Amino acid sequence: MYRLALNMLFGDRAKLAMLLCGLSFSALLMAQQSSVFFGIMSWTYTPMVNIRASIWVSDSEVEQVNDAKPMRDTDVSRVRSVDGVSWAAPLHSSIMQARMPNGKFKLISLVGIDSDTFAGAPATLTQGNIEDLRLPNTVLVDEWGANLLGHVVIQPDGSEKIIPLQIGDTFELNDTEARIVGICRVKRAFTGGPFVYTTYDRAKAYTANVRRALSYVLVEPREGVSIDDLRLRIERETGLKAWTSDTDLWHWKEGSLARSTFWWFWKNTGIPFSFGTAVLLGLFVGIAISGQTFYSFVLENLKYFAAIKAMGASMGVLARMLLLQALTAGLLGFGLGVGMAQAIGRGMIEKGMPPFVMYPQILWATFVLVLGISFTSALIGMVKVARVDPASVFRG
Amino acid sequence: MSTATNIVTAVRIHGVDKSFGPAESAVMALKQVEFEARQGELIMLVGPSGCGKTTLLSVIAGTLRADAGTTEVFGQRLDGLTQEELTAFRRKNLGFVFQSFNLIPTLSVRENVMVPLLIQGTSYAEAAAKAGEILAKVGLEGREDGSATALSGGQQQRVAIARALVHEPPLLICDEPTSALDKDTGGKVMEMIRELSHSPKRCVIVVTHDQRIFRFADRIAEMEDGRISRVVDDPRQLETPSY
Repeated sequence: MYRLALNMLFGDRAKLAMLLCGLSFSALLMAQQSSVFFGIMSWTYTPMVNIRASIWVSDSEVEQVNDAKPMRDTDVSRVRSVDGVSWAAPLHSSIMQARMPNGKFKLISLVGIDSDTFAGAPATLTQGNIEDLRLPNTVLVDEWGANLLGHVVIQPDGSEKIIPLQIGDTFELNDTEARIVGICRVKRAFTGGPFVYTTYDRAKAYTANVRRALSYVLVEPREGVSIDDLRLRIERETGLKAWTSDTDLWHWKEGSLARSTFWWFWKNTGIPFSFGTAVLLGLFVGIAISGQTFYSFVLENLKYFAAIKAMGASMGVLARMLLLQALTAGLLGFGLGVGMAQAIGRGMIEKGMPPFVMYPQILWATFVLVLGISFTSALIGMVKVARVDPASVFRG
Repeated sequence: MSTATNIVTAVRIHGVDKSFGPAESAVMALKQVEFEARQGELIMLVGPSGCGKTTLLSVIAGTLRADAGTTEVFGQRLDGLTQEELTAFRRKNLGFVFQSFNLIPTLSVRENVMVPLLIQGTSYAEAAAKAGEILAKVGLEGREDGSATALSGGQQQRVAIARALVHEPPLLICDEPTSALDKDTGGKVMEMIRELSHSPKRCVIVVTHDQRIFRFADRIAEMEDGRISRVVDDPRQLETPSY
């Protein structure tokens, strides 16, 4: 009977197409919006990904990585004095306006790293040499920033073309020259501005020597010392807040600055509500379209179900037939929807905006929800079929 | 068909009442009905619209429960069975030919015929083979894989007959099998029902008000106002039916 159930489903192509439209649209909306949501949320703790250190020490009032409270330079020494610390390096992080040669201002994220150890330097330099940062007034710019801050050239046909910044190009930070000595590849930030790396001392100079320029102290434990133990010891002995650099969304532990940042954005911005609404919309649209279509499919076939019932099919068999039909449509809808979401996501990744991260957990959640929609649709059909009187087949 | 001297009762209805609607305004569809059908015969239930033919047929088929009285089919009391037992009873013992064919339009001719076998748990391959055999018998060889809805009315009813008989049920129930067909086609369909269902172990009950097919009956039970008013052995006795 189950093969016949599938043939009944695939035999009505118009209904099947409508059913698949509803389910795949629902899967697309849920998977795509969730992936963009997690992509955007992953941008919120970008510095944790770009700047590698096992422990980040901050002011005790810090709640999220983008909102560093300035500390005293002497705090670096205090952290270094804690037993179990292998090394500790200062890190400056701030948002600044860069003045381009054409006079326009652009927002950038300035990162100042220790000039001795380059602790916190980007992992990948596509052009240039990190040691050149020791030269006067030098900076590294990320690839995306090199394009964003690039020169606009008017083409002979009147169109504009952007020439990316190159090594040797300059711009100004707080009226001080910043000469590019390297282009790096890092993950983009939620704040939108490109990353400009320089040394910690030069960062202080660019920020007009503010009294407190220290944003974080990057720490690496001595061999054999546990990160968690050292983190707690630093907190106990310095009164500062020490965080782990754990950025794995699904496995982060207690004390993760990325996790704290994620939840700060979750609680203090409308991002989860906005994307959550879209996901819920996908769910409701899916239930409405596929439920209604499946119900109408059952209604149209009701007299045949009644005939099958009269011929001796038990309600269990009929229920399983409906379930098989609904779940088959659900699986196809899920495949189509997630396939489309992946295609859109790939396009997004190629264009660089907006971020798109389709975790396996999103796929599973979408799978469960789409099958839930199908199951609900089947349930509606089952109620109708259960109520149909097999004697109705004798009424013409 | 009813030439056997050893008469075995296939269906026995005794004192059956059936009403519809709330008690204060109930419509009595069946009133103390007494009816008997025998193995090996084709018996017709005839009468004017609203006389209770279809209700009686539904009670016999076990798709409707009587309010009172007893219903016995092949010695099995249906009134005491649970819904599941009734369903199982129908699955094994009954074949149906419906007025509006009730062929599933999205399935092929063969698949439509396979339904009763598949309900019984027969494998798909075996059911397909048996369906092919009986479709050949009803003259639809070569049309097995086409859509049932692409056939003419007469051909569709032949498919329905094949579906009703494919699992060899001892009781065949036909509800107005010719009402949607013209005279010639209706006659051919009845010939087919009679020919294919002919078996000393099988009983065929046909509900109809189509006088043109009375001649195919071994006996005719006439219904009037929820009761069996008379049963005749010779269809010619009903050439001027009472309705």
